[in-house]
Amino acid sequence: MSAGLSGPAAATIDDEILTTAGGLALANLQAQIEGQARRAGAGLLTISERAELIDLVALRGHILGCVADYEWAEERAEELVRVAPADGVAFLARARARATFHRFADALTDLERAQRLGADPAVVGAERAAIFQAVGRYDEALAFFREAADRRVDFASLGALAAFYAECGDVDAAERFFDESRARYRSVTPFPLAMLDFQRAHMWMAQGDLQRARTWLSAAHRRLPGYAPAQGHLAEVEAALGEPDSAIARLRPLTISSDDPDYAAQLARILHEAGRVAEAWMWRDQAAARYDELVTQHLEAFADHAAEFWLEAGGNADRARLLAVRNLEVRQTPRARELLARATRACDRGQATYPARGRDAV
Amino acid sequence: MSDHNSGPRAVADPVVDITDMYVFPNPGRPGSLVLVLDVFPNAEPAALFSDVVDYRFRVRPVTIPAGAGGAFAVSETEYTISCRFAAPIQSQGSGPLVQDGICTASAGHAAAFRVNDEEGGKAEGLRVFAGRRMDPFFLDGVRIAQTTVTRKLALVSPGDSRQHRQNCLSIVVEVDVATVFDAGAGPLFAVVGETAMAGPIIVRFERFGRPLMKSVVLGSKNFDAVNRDLDIRDLYNQEDAFHLGPAYLGAYRARMNANLSFWDGLDQKTDWPLDADGVHPLTELLLADFMVVDVSKPYVEDSYLEIERALLKGASHETCGGRSPNDDVGDTLLTLLVNAGNGPRISDGVDGQAIPASRAFPYLAPPDPNPPAKIELQLDKAG
Repeated sequence: MSAGLSGPAAATIDDEILTTAGGLALANLQAQIEGQARRAGAGLLTISERAELIDLVALRGHILGCVADYEWAEERAEELVRVAPADGVAFLARARARATFHRFADALTDLERAQRLGADPAVVGAERAAIFQAVGRYDEALAFFREAADRRVDFASLGALAAFYAECGDVDAAERFFDESRARYRSVTPFPLAMLDFQRAHMWMAQGDLQRARTWLSAAHRRLPGYAPAQGHLAEVEAALGEPDSAIARLRPLTISSDDPDYAAQLARILHEAGRVAEAWMWRDQAAARYDELVTQHLEAFADHAAEFWLEAGGNADRARLLAVRNLEVRQTPRARELLARATRACDRGQATYPARGRDAV
Repeated sequence: MSDHNSGPRAVADPVVDITDMYVFPNPGRPGSLVLVLDVFPNAEPAALFSDVVDYRFRVRPVTIPAGAGGAFAVSETEYTISCRFAAPIQSQGSGPLVQDGICTASAGHAAAFRVNDEEGGKAEGLRVFAGRRMDPFFLDGVRIAQTTVTRKLALVSPGDSRQHRQNCLSIVVEVDVATVFDAGAGPLFAVVGETAMAGPIIVRFERFGRPLMKSVVLGSKNFDAVNRDLDIRDLYNQEDAFHLGPAYLGAYRARMNANLSFWDGLDQKTDWPLDADGVHPLTELLLADFMVVDVSKPYVEDSYLEIERALLKGASHETCGGRSPNDDVGDTLLTLLVNAGNGPRISDGVDGQAIPASRAFPYLAPPDPNPPAKIELQLDKAG
């Protein structure tokens, strides 16, 4: 890795903030979830503790790329609202779960209810702002993030500003806030920091600066080796940099450990580009089946990723366009518009960027 | 809930969450001090210590000056006992994870050990165990919380402890005082347990002096007219127990004065009249949040706060003070706060953990391999 071309050197990034070893932290997260789940089953948890358990499982879902964890969290959040209909914490938990599945309108309704029932306005506001950002209501999101950072300058408030500017493509502002946020990290859990570095990498991927993206993805991966999104995106970057063998080696374990079809889809695309067509089609079919399942169950959440899949490894521009339209209905962001434009162009050309099976599976 | 989940940061990372600290003379060996630090509430078998956290005890000699007026004189001399852990490794290739640690005293004594090894590690003047044990804490925390909501004592007999047969991660250090501390130091010591960032920059995550300070004495926001919307616990946790910073001292005092007055009023009489400035007589004593133990006195159970109570009366203490794992600290504290010992002992209806701690190293009961699947909380019993 070249520090001059790709930002700070790995040693600098790792040494400046010490966190618990990633494998150890993940094992402890698992132990924490098991302990709390057992106590929840015994009826020993308060509503707040049950909401915390839901958050922990959702966190594990994010780290490991486990859709089943998100589904579990959503089911338990629904249950929490049923058993505690007068508790704002329950509605807050359900709002988070619904936002995870991109049910943004429902989530905003829950946040209103949570606030009326006395949930912490700062927490409700942060959740609302994150949804505003996700659906492209950038002015409202930014107003809240600025106010929160004025109120309390810390890792979370500065990290939210960094992620906001990253999504808007203002890399100078984003980099400044990423640095400031990191400098204010005061914990030993590696999860928030790995997630922040991942967001930073995501910004550089969107900017097309693959070296910088690799720097931060590697940082996230070193800090938390089990972090599936970092590993998966690192594979994507490596493939784009002409290192398909490394990319394939990274993706194979993820196709087993994760129930998110993104990894099988990436693997199919990279294998195909490497000329390993038959194997590519096997992973393509596996990804297609899982996307179909997830789009049926959680259309809003998977419309964008499924559209990307059908545009590339899936090889079906018409399906991609239908999903891109649906995605744009859910959130009017530049990225959603760009996805629809790409899908429309592919349809107009009469083919997807990835050739159909009939011509390639020979 | 002695200190379990004592603030948002602790909930987020149980590996730094100090649930309890126990400090007592070795029952069989006078002149030897036992220090116990518990972390990670409801620890399952996979739970391990962080490899970047310094789990440490800070020990300072204290004296009781004549006419102390409820305050100890704390020496600037400090002894530390620090435990650090390596990242776990897989035993025999694919076996379970094993974790090694080292315990180092400020005088240089160091004992290496393996986590969950009952024998622990030994060095001159030091013996150390670290691993999963049954959490010795017991308290009907639900009904104590209910008391702050209903503003009347909601305790019942028998009560229910949510920590019944739950497990935690424990560090047990036995220190030969004459060897590890300075000869002639003591016999009164103030002890604080801390979790802090291991490394050149000290970031304190949690500190622990006396049990129930953050939950019972500081936690409730309802009675504090000054800072009703402030969760004060993370700020309090980060303070140096021996030198509270000026920034939030007023906030801690206001919260303590308000909450201590609430507890005093629960029996409809005032045992702790406030002074002209509205300061509760216990506030300054409890703000000096460390555990005081006298190693010249023999081990005895239920000696918690005896030294402090004697100090308040201007009398000589009779016991070792400190806190042993079987001490009923809930009853002792509630009685002190509610009636100052002028009335019957206030009981939460829970008098011990399922398996009491023993009098032999490592003292705490082994972990329950199968913590209870269900504990009935009969809240309707509460009045």
